[in-house]
Amino acid sequence: MKLVVNGQERLVAAGPLTPLLHVLREELGLVGAKAGCQHGSCGTCTVLIDGEPRRSCLTPVGAIEGASITTAEALGDPANLSVVQAAFDEHYAAQCGFCTPGMLLAATALIERKGGPLERDEVVEALGGHYCRCTGYVKIVDAVVAASRGETGTRAPSTLEIRAVGS
Amino acid sequence: MKAVGASLPRYDGIDHVTARSRFVDDFSLPGMLWAKAFRSPVASARIVRLDTTRAEAMPGVHAVITHADVPTNVVGHQEVWGIAPDEPLLAEHEVRFVGQLIAVVAAETEAQALDAVQAIELELEERTPFLDVRNAWDAGRPQVTPDGNVFFYYPDQPQRQIRKGNVDEAFAAADVIVEGVYRPGAIEQAPAEPAAALAIPEPNGRVTIHSTSQALYYSMDITARHLRMPMGMLKFVGGTVGGGFGGKIDTKTEPITAVLALKTQRPVKWRHTREEEMLCSTTRAAWHVEIADAVTNDGWILGRKTLTLHDAGAYMMTSAYACSKHSFHLAGAYSIPAVSFNTFVVMTNHVPTAAMRGFGVTSASFAVETHMNRIAQVIGMDPWELRLKNANRVGDSSPSRVVYGNPSTVSTLLAAAEAADVVLPPDERAMTNAKREGALLPAHLVEQQREPVTHPLVWRDNRPALEGGV
Repeated sequence: MKLVVNGQERLVAAGPLTPLLHVLREELGLVGAKAGCQHGSCGTCTVLIDGEPRRSCLTPVGAIEGASITTAEALGDPANLSVVQAAFDEHYAAQCGFCTPGMLLAATALIERKGGPLERDEVVEALGGHYCRCTGYVKIVDAVVAASRGETGTRAPSTLEIRAVGS
Repeated sequence: MKAVGASLPRYDGIDHVTARSRFVDDFSLPGMLWAKAFRSPVASARIVRLDTTRAEAMPGVHAVITHADVPTNVVGHQEVWGIAPDEPLLAEHEVRFVGQLIAVVAAETEAQALDAVQAIELELEERTPFLDVRNAWDAGRPQVTPDGNVFFYYPDQPQRQIRKGNVDEAFAAADVIVEGVYRPGAIEQAPAEPAAALAIPEPNGRVTIHSTSQALYYSMDITARHLRMPMGMLKFVGGTVGGGFGGKIDTKTEPITAVLALKTQRPVKWRHTREEEMLCSTTRAAWHVEIADAVTNDGWILGRKTLTLHDAGAYMMTSAYACSKHSFHLAGAYSIPAVSFNTFVVMTNHVPTAAMRGFGVTSASFAVETHMNRIAQVIGMDPWELRLKNANRVGDSSPSRVVYGNPSTVSTLLAAAEAADVVLPPDERAMTNAKREGALLPAHLVEQQREPVTHPLVWRDNRPALEGGV
């Protein structure tokens, strides 16, 4: 069967009940989507299917023949980050990095769908199905709100001055 | 010191946001086998029969290992501190908790490995499990280990004990004794990334192991001892860890995949399922903490007695260490001149417990701070006032006689009150950590005060230095 993955047509040999997650990771070598729970609970396997965030661990590949899949690898490269990627980096929204690909895709789809600027409540609602065990979420919401306003390049410049201790 | 005060990029930030960071499960190799575990279905049983013959003949299966395949099966996590090794990597004659590893299959696909696991035959003689930490000593209780349910720190002393001052006098002088029992439960660390390992046999007899360990050299040492190989024969690759929170010092996937890789001469990968992560990997322990305080009506704590039972689970892991830390913290951030603390490591048939963010200390803090509120309620005092009075000052000493040089309890309490929009009276807001005097130095606190040995930090040539020293 055929899938369009990150803009390229790919032929898939796996059986129709194989989860899309396993097809991406083990057959197509795209490991951005992670196997966090393989139960549809944690959000680390999220990819965009025809632009909508979906759990690739719960999606049998036979159900999406011909669909267009976007994984985190396609969002941008280090020299050409998307606004959401740049905001995540600048706001320290990626800590261990394991939930980050799913978060990035969900945030990208949200901004695509609703435009900006977004309120914090809207971001919390849209990312509610994504677990992060490191950050406490605040920095992630900060990053998505900033991205929805098109704000990048906001990292405070390094002062490189020594602050006196105790003064 | 150019980094202090500066907002610097994370060294791995760009890799994370471009999905280029490679976690262990992201690596695959040609010819790689997948491992799957066969685990105990019950909390306590004698193993009567274990037969892997049928599993070994299943399609795609390259190896099924049991305890007999592990060169040194029983290795302790704290042998370096003299804690005897007690935990088998793969169960031998008995199982002591649900999910304990019994055998592991390596097959060409994950699905084939899972099918083979289901073909392993096991006959058990179930025993009554011991699950309630409070009843460890009761006659007739099931015994978790051949030596009983309580670990002995010293041959004649099971508990980690702390003694300071005269507790009997303190309790005789008290206006009221305030008692409480606190039972913080077990918690799974639940990192987003389940534990995984990929072991690759090298042509020269070495083994390369990609590990999710949060303590790479610690895990390397444990793996080397299981394999009975010098550490120089192992190469550990790690550092990109998808969250650990203490749970990823638990070293199981590394030695298991290494044994399988050496046996099959193929790369072997094993990733925990979420169920394995939640049910079978170590947790933060459950605790039973009893506190009795000798208190005066004007809000001084003259003395404290405690009994703590730490639910270690089925094997020792790092419990002795956790209980030592717990004991040192049982006065909280307050000055109590007379204490008698007794903390016991109790073995049960729960999953073994180990590290999780400040383990040992959080259970003490939860119990102590809840107890402070209870004291305030009993004597009818504002809980902020009670805490601020008893808060450590310069020259106060801890239960283990560490003299505080610059304790931050008062400033922390005042900052917490401000953050919570609690308006304290002016005399409390003016409090500092200055050495006790006047109304803040009652007779019972005089004896525990000492001159702190301080080495004030000064800046010299843009480096921290000790005043009057190097």
